Amino acid sequence: MLVVALLLALVGLATIHSASSELATDYSPRQALWLGLGLLVFFAAFLFDYQLLTSFGLTIYGGSLVLLILVLLIGKEAGGAQSWLGVGSVRFQPSEFAKIATALLLARYVAGCNRSVLKVNEILVASLIAAIPMALVSLQPDLGGAAMFVPMLAGVLLIAGIQWRLLVTAFVLVLALGAGVWNFAMFDYQKERIKTFVSPDRDPLGAGYQLRQSKIAVGSGRFLGRGYKQGTQSQLRFLPARHTDFILAVLAEEWGFLGVVTVLVLYFVYILNGAQVAMRARDRRGVLLAVGLLSGFSFHVLYNTAMVVGLLPITGIPLPFLSYGGSFILTNFAVTGLILGVDFRRHVNA
Amino acid sequence: MRVREHREELVLRLPVLRAVFSTLLVLVGGAYWFVQVVHGDFYLDLAENNRLRKYPLKAPRGLIRDRVGRLLVRNIPSYDLLMARDLSTDVQGSLTFAAKTLDLPFEELEAVLRSGKSKNQFRPTLLAEDLSLSQVAKFSAQALGHPEFEIEVGHRRLNVQGPNTAHFLGYLREVSAADLARPGTSYRAGDLIGRTGIEEAFDARLRGRDGERVVTVDSRGRPRRETRSKLALPGEDLTLTLDLELQEEAARYFIGRVGAVVALDPKSGEVLTLYSAPSYDPNLFSRRLDYAEWQELLADANHPLQNRSIQSTYSPGSIFKIVVALAGLGEGVIDPVETVRCTGSTKIYGRRFRCWKRAGHGRVNLHKAIKESCDIYFYYLGQTLGIERIARYARILGLGQKVNLDIAGEKAGLIPDIKWKLRARGEPWFPGETISVAIGQGPVLVTPLQLAAMMSTIANGGYRVLPHGLMGSGKTATQPIDLNPAHLARVKRALWSVVNEGGTGASAFVEGLDVVGKTSTVQVIEQKTWVNNRDLPFKQRDHAWFVSFATLGERQLAVAVFVEHGGAGSRVAAPLAKNLYEIYFRDQLALLSP
Repeated sequence: MLVVALLLALVGLATIHSASSELATDYSPRQALWLGLGLLVFFAAFLFDYQLLTSFGLTIYGGSLVLLILVLLIGKEAGGAQSWLGVGSVRFQPSEFAKIATALLLARYVAGCNRSVLKVNEILVASLIAAIPMALVSLQPDLGGAAMFVPMLAGVLLIAGIQWRLLVTAFVLVLALGAGVWNFAMFDYQKERIKTFVSPDRDPLGAGYQLRQSKIAVGSGRFLGRGYKQGTQSQLRFLPARHTDFILAVLAEEWGFLGVVTVLVLYFVYILNGAQVAMRARDRRGVLLAVGLLSGFSFHVLYNTAMVVGLLPITGIPLPFLSYGGSFILTNFAVTGLILGVDFRRHVNA
Repeated sequence: MRVREHREELVLRLPVLRAVFSTLLVLVGGAYWFVQVVHGDFYLDLAENNRLRKYPLKAPRGLIRDRVGRLLVRNIPSYDLLMARDLSTDVQGSLTFAAKTLDLPFEELEAVLRSGKSKNQFRPTLLAEDLSLSQVAKFSAQALGHPEFEIEVGHRRLNVQGPNTAHFLGYLREVSAADLARPGTSYRAGDLIGRTGIEEAFDARLRGRDGERVVTVDSRGRPRRETRSKLALPGEDLTLTLDLELQEEAARYFIGRVGAVVALDPKSGEVLTLYSAPSYDPNLFSRRLDYAEWQELLADANHPLQNRSIQSTYSPGSIFKIVVALAGLGEGVIDPVETVRCTGSTKIYGRRFRCWKRAGHGRVNLHKAIKESCDIYFYYLGQTLGIERIARYARILGLGQKVNLDIAGEKAGLIPDIKWKLRARGEPWFPGETISVAIGQGPVLVTPLQLAAMMSTIANGGYRVLPHGLMGSGKTATQPIDLNPAHLARVKRALWSVVNEGGTGASAFVEGLDVVGKTSTVQVIEQKTWVNNRDLPFKQRDHAWFVSFATLGERQLAVAVFVEHGGAGSRVAAPLAKNLYEIYFRDQLALLSP
């Protein structure tokens, strides 16, 4: 699993180099630095006993909430969202940290509800655990970052056991909530993105630009790709956000369908491994921690890949290990470390 | 020992989640297959279009000169502002910037952009024309922040003479959808095309062939390298038969007047002057955008866009007596010495017909009838000839049909006959109508160009003249018309005395020059009694005609002058002919009178 993660990270590094070589700054050395740090984080996460970590879940969770509130108060704005917290020259996104904290607390709490199917009040508490950081993140506003708490919660609840009746009720509730959010809480730019997604040719030069350029980049790669650093969409800068959220479009253009499939297979292996870890984890906490983390991870992969190819509306959800971004890389390695840590401790007696 | 955990249920549920993720991953993979492999070529095409930008290299249109090489139309460099909408991430912001730089209202640019949008989404839209150099500099300075703007260096057509030559030379307009839809068209959206006059008639020769510069650009439109460029082929320069000096005099004379003048070389058929008043500034139109002035011209009650020299038809009035006289001689129904008695009016078919001269002319023969334009003489002559014979001679002289000038838009006019009456009105021809036609009233309609051509035929001794505006494109008049030269000479002598022996055309008399002509004053509405023209409102006043030609040695010039609602032809129309003759024969006349 670590091997897969490292492979993906290296592919990402090369692609970032290609995507940003035309820019004033090449982002790949920085990304390499982050990868190095990521490895350290991985080992730290791997070595920490998840039992211990989850026991401190509430404290970590509380800490992450404080950071999220801080970021709203004194955070730095970038790309329209106030999501960065700076300490000296180091900046990081507390929302990334909050994801892990939430997974830890969810695992601890739901594991404590030791029955085969959860009770309604337990589900409500679990939902609340996810909802608080989610609300704070969406206030930044970072809708993409907020959205990923949903699959994490859903994954944990599904595995922990939820009644069919409740599932249907929840589904209806989400639909109603969605309609409400659309009407009252969404910003125009977000509505625009969704409308654009429904009919991208509505305004090919305005809101649909990113989507259109991304599809052109992906499509023009065809089966074998146009060759490393030969993609005109990325090299001539038609594609915005190409080294971050749309890194896969660059890869698709330069390496074609073959490259995309390779990457997808790597993710597939990662997810299968993760699921394997969850299945043979020693206890409920282990299972649920792995499931929560893996669900969030899978959501990132699925949403981003689907968005780049135009299946889903554009929102700020990067691709794990490939996209450029410090906090995000660290999070992914931390996730990997935690999952492998669960596996490592399946034979250890607590 | 801890309480037994419910762990197995959890693990049993895991494959479901795994299956969900796997399925979704496969679906996403399928989407990539669809986009990359199934539709890959389509997107590759789009990527190429993103990358390659084609800049047309506009071929400079051919220059136009007058008969002695004076420049009439040239091209001036023009800087036009184009906006590539696909490069603008914030259209509102782009327009605000452009509006500020151009000092134009935002709404105006927005309207231009919107109207241009429908044409072609991925072609830059023309936003403004004729930018000043300082405006161009401002856009260039902001090229990085506003990659959507592009300055197109083109050629703008400048008609040096403006209104003086507007109708003859014509103007350009942006090609219409209909032009573009024509099979095999080489025009592209945004091209200019000659719409009237010489610009239209010789558009194919004038326009040349556009080239193309193909440039690889990045997303900001910055060129990276140039490939596969094709040079533009300039259009052909044209020399016209027009004499700018005569044309300018015509324009000067028509200031404050409405009408037209055509001057032809009676032998070669070269058009030396062709002017219509009121005129307009063609430079206002030779652009791609619509301006308010255009609408104003369309709404003008005097129809400045109408080329009255070829597109308007009028009653010839007394000038038609030339036709009737030639018909009378040709058909042998008159003896030139025979006289008719004019007492100012007469009764034919039980109806009273008046002569323009209330007191009457007394006894008149053909010569005197032409010289003094006696109506009574021609009433009787017309009655004798009948409409069919008059119509035949009118057609022999080229009336009621297009002259086939190289400029398009000519009207045929009308020479009435029995068949026409039956077809157009559903009635038989009444003999009484022939009496009116005999003095050029009634349904007879001609253009100034036709009368200039008719006078040319009389001047050159009976040859059909082939008027043309492009130097070297016509043939000398060599095709004789079906008229006896002796009859022509007799009528010519009578017309000579019209000008030179105190006839109605005396105000066209030029010392040392043989001017031969005929005046005409056409009633616009039928008057029951003799009315002083000056007491009538402008639109009811008489039209004034003077058609003539002058000869000095080998050189000849035929001139037809028409002044709408001008009053008497002798007073209003003849002086312009005289001015033109004095200019045209100036050098020769100077030799005669040291």
